[in-house]
Amino acid sequence: MAENMHTYAFFLGCIAPNRYPGCEASAIATSRKVGIELVPLKGGSCCPAPGAFGSIDLNVWYAMAARNVVLAEEMKTDIALICNGCYKSIYEVNKKLKENDELRDGVNEVLAEIDMEFKGSIDVWHLAELYYDPKICGVKKIADSVTRPLTGTKVAVHYGCHLMKPKKERHFGETDNPMWIEELVAALGAEPVQYRNKMQCCGAGGGVRGYDIVHSLDITNEKMINLQEVGADALTEVCPFCQLQYDRGQVEIKDKFGIDYGLPVLHFNEMLGLAQGMSPDELALDLHAVSCEPFLEKIL
Amino acid sequence: MATVKNYGDPQLEEKLKDQYFYNSDANPNFTKEVEKIGDTLAHMCFQCGTCTGSCPSAPRSSYRIRRFMRRAVMGLEMEALTDPDLWLCTTCYSCTDRCPRDLAPTDVIMAMRNLAFKLDIVPKNFLKTVQMIYTSGHGVPNNDANRAARTKLGLTADPPTTHMYPEFIEGIQKIMHHYDLKENADRILSEEGQ
Repeated sequence: MAENMHTYAFFLGCIAPNRYPGCEASAIATSRKVGIELVPLKGGSCCPAPGAFGSIDLNVWYAMAARNVVLAEEMKTDIALICNGCYKSIYEVNKKLKENDELRDGVNEVLAEIDMEFKGSIDVWHLAELYYDPKICGVKKIADSVTRPLTGTKVAVHYGCHLMKPKKERHFGETDNPMWIEELVAALGAEPVQYRNKMQCCGAGGGVRGYDIVHSLDITNEKMINLQEVGADALTEVCPFCQLQYDRGQVEIKDKFGIDYGLPVLHFNEMLGLAQGMSPDELALDLHAVSCEPFLEKIL
Repeated sequence: MATVKNYGDPQLEEKLKDQYFYNSDANPNFTKEVEKIGDTLAHMCFQCGTCTGSCPSAPRSSYRIRRFMRRAVMGLEMEALTDPDLWLCTTCYSCTDRCPRDLAPTDVIMAMRNLAFKLDIVPKNFLKTVQMIYTSGHGVPNNDANRAARTKLGLTADPPTTHMYPEFIEGIQKIMHHYDLKENADRILSEEGQ
């Protein structure tokens, strides 16, 4: 088994380790069962947040994201991560610096001050795409790893923005109505459900959550209305920032708009962890602002 | 051979002269700067409005991405940079994926925000994130409740990031000093009495 393991440097970001540690724990545990070994990327920082940092000074964004990439280059390992925001920073900066010599020289000038150099020797992946990729894992291997199928549950998928968009900077193809995460959800035994405007943003990005919380929650609320319409038992996503916006956002929506949805929100890793038999305690689901109990009752 | 485009009638030309579009606030360099930072040919925009139609922020505010595209094309620098709606883009890139001219309106917004910051125009939440990352390496740092939860999960109380290896923070601070980012963030916040 060990020689077939694919090893990646696990870039954590901020919200997964510091707000939803269950996302981190489940990523490590679930990936190991399908032949992926995540090793710590020591000294990683904030990716840095593409909305907050990119909006202020793109040059700092490039340099700071490049520093995180170089840490993995020094380990001679590709990066795997579990957050769309991190994906935008780490994947996109890695790609741009590889393709654009002028940009790379500028960044390397800054990195030289801290004895680092961007070489462009590694690739960056979202763990979800590795799960879907038959060369690494694939849907069948995910299905085979399931010991407690999520039978009888309706699960909606939120893709988020920065994993697949902008499509010309990515390799996922059309972004109007992707279905690959639904395939992964179906592999867990759950019934994936479609809903209106699936690809709409959660409302948190671009610094809007910090700038105008009511505006940001109003976008989330529109998503919640569309999710309620199809009777989803839970929402799954692949981005802890989207998770924060939906999970804590529902509490804020209740407070500001007086509407209570009570829809459990779980990262795909947490969902996979449940399907592989991990207990709610092993996933720290009690840290979720919206209780996951209604969903757990259907599967436990 | 190219000829000068006109009606060939001096009297008509004189009459039309002051009726060509002219705006004294327009700055042609603004268009160039936005295109350079945003790495997109904003002046190719033909104002179809697909961007605004795709925008999750448009239905709930006066933010119109098409208007910002127009401002980019016309060089209306201060009108764009002083508009508080500039900060309502969630950077979802729906407009970019749907633009029939293959432009990136999202990156036009990012470029304009970068230019606004150079004029000290920036909402304070962005600056507070800068300060947070300068101090800890994280935009969302760890806390005691989370440390307890991590330990229960069998994880290290602090993640193996700059939290567990604070010796890496200095490198991050050096990068930020290189661009005077921390200095500017502190200065703008203190001028606003924060």
